[in-house]
Amino acid sequence: MSSRELSRSLWKAVDSLGSRSRPQCEWTTRRAQKSFPPSVARCISTTTARRADVTEGEIQEPFTAAPPIRFEADAEDGKKGDRSMLRTLRVVPASPSYFSAKPTFTDDFLALSALLRKVATLPVISPAEAPKVAWKTIFQYRIMTNEPVKTQRYHKMMHMVRRLNCINPSVVPEEVTQALLRYKKASQPGDIKPKPGVIDELGRAKGVGRRKTSSAVAWLVEGEGEVLVNGKSLSQFFGRLHHRESAVWALKATQRLDKYNVFVLVQGGGLTGQAEAMMLAVAKSLLVHEPALKPAVRRAGCVTRDPRKVERKKAGHVKARKMPTWVKR
Amino acid sequence: MPPSTCLRSLSQLSLDASTHRSIVPRLLHPRVACFSTSATHYAQAPKKKGTTAAPKKGVKSLNTKKGKQASGGDSGKRPAQGERKALRKRIVLSNNNALEVSSLKDLSKESAFSEQNEGQVMGLPEHVVDALRAVEAFKTTQGWSLFRRPAVLMRKEAIQVAKLFKEVEDSASGQQKKTLRRILSGERMSGKSTLLLQGLTIGFLRDWFVISLPEAQDIVNAHTDYAPLPKSEPMQYTQDTYTANLLQQILKSNGSFLESAKLITKPDLPLPLSAKATLKELVALGIANPEVSWPVFVALWNELSQPGRPPILLAVDGLSHMMGDSKYMSADVKPVHAYDLTIIRLFIDHLSGQKQLPNGGIVLGATSQSNAPTSPALDFCVGVAEAQQKTPDNVPQWNPYKKVDVRVMEALKDLNSEKSDFDVIKVGGLSKEEARAIMEYYAESGMLRHQINDRFVNEKWSLAGMGNIGELEKASVRLRL
Repeated sequence: MSSRELSRSLWKAVDSLGSRSRPQCEWTTRRAQKSFPPSVARCISTTTARRADVTEGEIQEPFTAAPPIRFEADAEDGKKGDRSMLRTLRVVPASPSYFSAKPTFTDDFLALSALLRKVATLPVISPAEAPKVAWKTIFQYRIMTNEPVKTQRYHKMMHMVRRLNCINPSVVPEEVTQALLRYKKASQPGDIKPKPGVIDELGRAKGVGRRKTSSAVAWLVEGEGEVLVNGKSLSQFFGRLHHRESAVWALKATQRLDKYNVFVLVQGGGLTGQAEAMMLAVAKSLLVHEPALKPAVRRAGCVTRDPRKVERKKAGHVKARKMPTWVKR
Repeated sequence: MPPSTCLRSLSQLSLDASTHRSIVPRLLHPRVACFSTSATHYAQAPKKKGTTAAPKKGVKSLNTKKGKQASGGDSGKRPAQGERKALRKRIVLSNNNALEVSSLKDLSKESAFSEQNEGQVMGLPEHVVDALRAVEAFKTTQGWSLFRRPAVLMRKEAIQVAKLFKEVEDSASGQQKKTLRRILSGERMSGKSTLLLQGLTIGFLRDWFVISLPEAQDIVNAHTDYAPLPKSEPMQYTQDTYTANLLQQILKSNGSFLESAKLITKPDLPLPLSAKATLKELVALGIANPEVSWPVFVALWNELSQPGRPPILLAVDGLSHMMGDSKYMSADVKPVHAYDLTIIRLFIDHLSGQKQLPNGGIVLGATSQSNAPTSPALDFCVGVAEAQQKTPDNVPQWNPYKKVDVRVMEALKDLNSEKSDFDVIKVGGLSKEEARAIMEYYAESGMLRHQINDRFVNEKWSLAGMGNIGELEKASVRLRL
């Protein structure tokens, strides 16, 4: 950012010089000549010049050149000579925080505090009720600004951002919405919505569930509590009562066991995995029939997929973590 | 020059040292003269550390008393011979801690056929329980020991069986006496053996002559003696001890009839028997002399075939054991087919319809899912018969790559023909009403401490695999969480 500010001022300066053979302001020209061909040099950095590693368009801020100085228009104001005008011309950075260590961050911080001061009187809602937003992490912000922002400072800024987010959504001004956009992640939690399940013409709702290495596909139809797993009855397929219960747990916990018939295809893994994969599949297909049951099903623990899997074996270990027996020699 | 053996030992020693690292210290540490290795060879390997702890101070470690067992060994008394088996085979039919169910009614001769019993739990009368115990109809795996006294649920299939008895009795007055044959099939723990027991109960209640082979496995597993039957072609084999035992069971269970009935025919027995003897004396002769038990059984069978005798119920459990080779060997060391054993031959002849019961009767065979050798022919025939009842247009085909037992296929071929009195009774799950009835019985017995409402019944019904009664009992009575 600082380099950008610099280049903007340099452009001003260079434009003001125009086609003059002898530069008046030597300092400026020197800088300009130096920085022209590579255009990456940073003025206040002792380290070698480098670009930001991430060059995605969305992260890099757009570059805007400074408007040219129109000498003709200025000259008509009664000034006789360019020379006198140039003498009064001073290269000023666009931002007053240009000479600070983290100019963009400082700008952001000041802008947010000003905004907050402006809208401080608007009604707020409790943070719990505020819209859920995934804010940029400090690493993402650092990459965006290319400045070594300190964690604590960043959190102070985010405190203001969250306070702005708590403004009652019915009265939130447009400028606040625009300002907050800068601190949101590109993708928000609710952005990707799964396709809603459908009940087909035969009244079946399908659900897929996985656990460990098992996967299950369940179809749920209205009925009176019959369960078929791979064409067998529940008791034939699962010898343990525990497995049977966990297989239909979503229905049992919501007291829907006698309202639906289930048929399931399940494959892979062992009995526990299959039973719990079935639990997930049945829960999902139940949610197609009755979406309002989601909180109840979630409380029963049938919505979240259990991501645990067998840990891989490592080289030099006997198992995933076990080390070979220590031998003295 | 040293002898060559000495050199060989030396080289052996160095070889050992290089190959077996672990032995090296053992062999090399005792600084013996290198040319003599005998000491190291014969020296006992030092015991591993930590295997035996040093004796404590003041504790006498030397066991000087004669005949005294070591304190660490098993000093408990060994069970006497046969005690373990007796414990394993013990049938407990009552539980003093269970409550008496006041509403429990007994089955009786009159109410055995009544259709009002459907979906009700009925108690078994005492004399029937004794008879059933005599024929070993109660199994150790069944939950009789959980309740005050034996009681059975009259489910849909039980009513179906009762109707068979009624049909046979109705035909008894006419000329054409009926012989009905049924195979009970169904998934594991679905109550096939219990249904067979219910059939036996009705048989005892209606004063039929009941012959029950409690477990087909006991006949074919070569645990009892056998002998070739003289003048049989092809060779058949009798099992004297088993037959004598069977006669004893028959005597215990059908005692009253045997006592009252007199001999009509003149049996050709090697032992003397008065012409006016009762059947009981005939049977007692077979029990006392196992070597003539088979001729006695044949004589008894002939007596029962005379007109005026009661209808016969032939029952067997574990049908697939008799559908293949037995464990017996013939004289030329070939396995004997189960059908060549005389008792099984008698049963199969009647099951296949080759012979009819002259006074009418029922032949019942129950399959087993937990203790059953593979019998593709039986499985196929039963599967086809079930499919014909359920989906007549989708009947399984014989897999030609399976090994077929021709004799079994021949015996069971009636099962797949439309018009015969040989069929399969599919023992499925209970209906919800039946499940509710049996669970109320559990609750009244105090074995199920839960309010019996629709929700609870439905839940257990589903978890028991659509009303599998064994699973239902397991889930509600045996397994208390």
